[in-house]
Amino acid sequence: MPADTGKVGTGADPKDPPLIFSGSVDTYWKYDFSGHSNIPTSFASDQNSVSIGMVDLGLKKKVGKAAFVGELSFGPRSDQSIPTSGYHIQNLYVSYDVTDKFNLTAGYMSTFIGYEVISPTGNFNYSTSYLFTNGPFQNAGFKATYAFSDKVSLMAGIFNNYWNTYTSFITHGNTTTSGDVSTFGAQLMVVPAKGWTAYLNLATGSFSGTELDLTTAYQITDAFKLGLNAADFSAPNNGGGFSGIALYPQLAVSKVVTFGVRGEYFTYKNGGGNVTGITVSSNIKAGAITLIPEIRFDSKSSAFPFAFADSNLAPTNSASQFLIAAVYAF
Amino acid sequence: MRSDINKKNYLQGRSPIGGWLYIYTMKRIFLVLAGILLLYTASAQKSLLAQDENNKYIYYQVVDQPNATKDSLVGKVNSFLHEAFKKSKRIQTGDSLFTVKDKFLTYSAFTFAKHESGEVDFVLNIECKDNKYRYWLTDFVFRPYYKDRYGMFVPENGIEIPLEKASSKLDKKDLEGYLAQTGAYCRQTGDNLKAFMIQNHQFSKANTQPARRVVTKKW
Repeated sequence: MPADTGKVGTGADPKDPPLIFSGSVDTYWKYDFSGHSNIPTSFASDQNSVSIGMVDLGLKKKVGKAAFVGELSFGPRSDQSIPTSGYHIQNLYVSYDVTDKFNLTAGYMSTFIGYEVISPTGNFNYSTSYLFTNGPFQNAGFKATYAFSDKVSLMAGIFNNYWNTYTSFITHGNTTTSGDVSTFGAQLMVVPAKGWTAYLNLATGSFSGTELDLTTAYQITDAFKLGLNAADFSAPNNGGGFSGIALYPQLAVSKVVTFGVRGEYFTYKNGGGNVTGITVSSNIKAGAITLIPEIRFDSKSSAFPFAFADSNLAPTNSASQFLIAAVYAF
Repeated sequence: MRSDINKKNYLQGRSPIGGWLYIYTMKRIFLVLAGILLLYTASAQKSLLAQDENNKYIYYQVVDQPNATKDSLVGKVNSFLHEAFKKSKRIQTGDSLFTVKDKFLTYSAFTFAKHESGEVDFVLNIECKDNKYRYWLTDFVFRPYYKDRYGMFVPENGIEIPLEKASSKLDKKDLEGYLAQTGAYCRQTGDNLKAFMIQNHQFSKANTQPARRVVTKKW
């Protein structure tokens, strides 16, 4: 869930907070019941292998009104989530609180769009949704956030012409030149009720296309939380796009165990087919470790561009998998 | 000086392996002592909190300040709150009771990577009479933080856990850490208040030990 308050730290402590160091590591084992990988969403792609996700290392510091965040990552999950091999940067930005309510931020940041995130500590399910996989991961740019109150804030910014790039670029045939900062982004955050937060997001540009996204979560009781993500993306030059919706009900049955479901419907535009995914996960806390056993069933239409195959390698429209992941956060 | 000489001789009289073993042993002893000290400190700070008639955690002290009128103490409390809790919601009830709602950050405990783990909302009350005042911090509510997509630690919306009920919601070790940090925050706030109140007054000894069981109706 995004929380784009534009604030680095909160609270009543008058002193500057110390240099904050945090991070995570994750590992998993996945088995697709066909005997080979089918489901094409991001990360956790290895079949019947004890595999690694990534090590994530974050630093942040705030002195007075100025702050920075630097977050590095290494590993297969990192490689699949960043644009340039060798950079290993998930977040690198500086921010300044002009007033208590007005913040300016510039750099390379995780996208403000969508429900799920790259870091496994930020997601309930270990596998990811089609909406996440097809949406932006990061946006480099400059944004301003104004908090009208603790219940309403507005972010607006300009970002590089393409998503998921450290530098802007334009390709002409085989030639790549510098691009521009032409993607406009905005996020309206509202808190309609206690425990309920909603984000209406827009990213639009002639190179990057236009995505409209609603991300919301409501902690209805101490134990029950309901999340929702809905998005529509139109690629530039009538190049298609996608739309979809995902629901995330979660129920805490003890202070250690929480169960959750992700139900998703996703469709590509221009007759590109659709897919429905049901993912049932549990988060089992053991100190700093979270164990995530998860089972997932996906069913697609024939026009869906990613092929599923059964155990005989014959085409099929359904796939299912089990995985168990361990995520250590510090 | 003498111990330095002995240490030098001890090291010189040993093989390289012996020296390494000495350093290794000293390191182990140091780490054990540091661990004991850390646990003792945490335990001591946790014990600063008492429980009131409603079994709510409370940090409660009555401070004698001889030769001080109620009005002068009220004025000082007003100044203190204005200075120390500038952005907080302050309420004055009657002519001598002040109430402030605020919060402080907690940090992850017993780990080499220190980061915000949550915040604790609390209510600070200060009441004055001639020659004395009392203050108490209570209504502690923990709000856990999570790391968001921007690498920031922010509150989990909709999760509020009164510290009295936290044992069924939080890990025991985490809860002990939060109680210890709450006790330390209360003591620091009290120390700041007392230091402010004795400015330009003849010092009088405060009741420095909070009571283990508190009846707030009589003071």
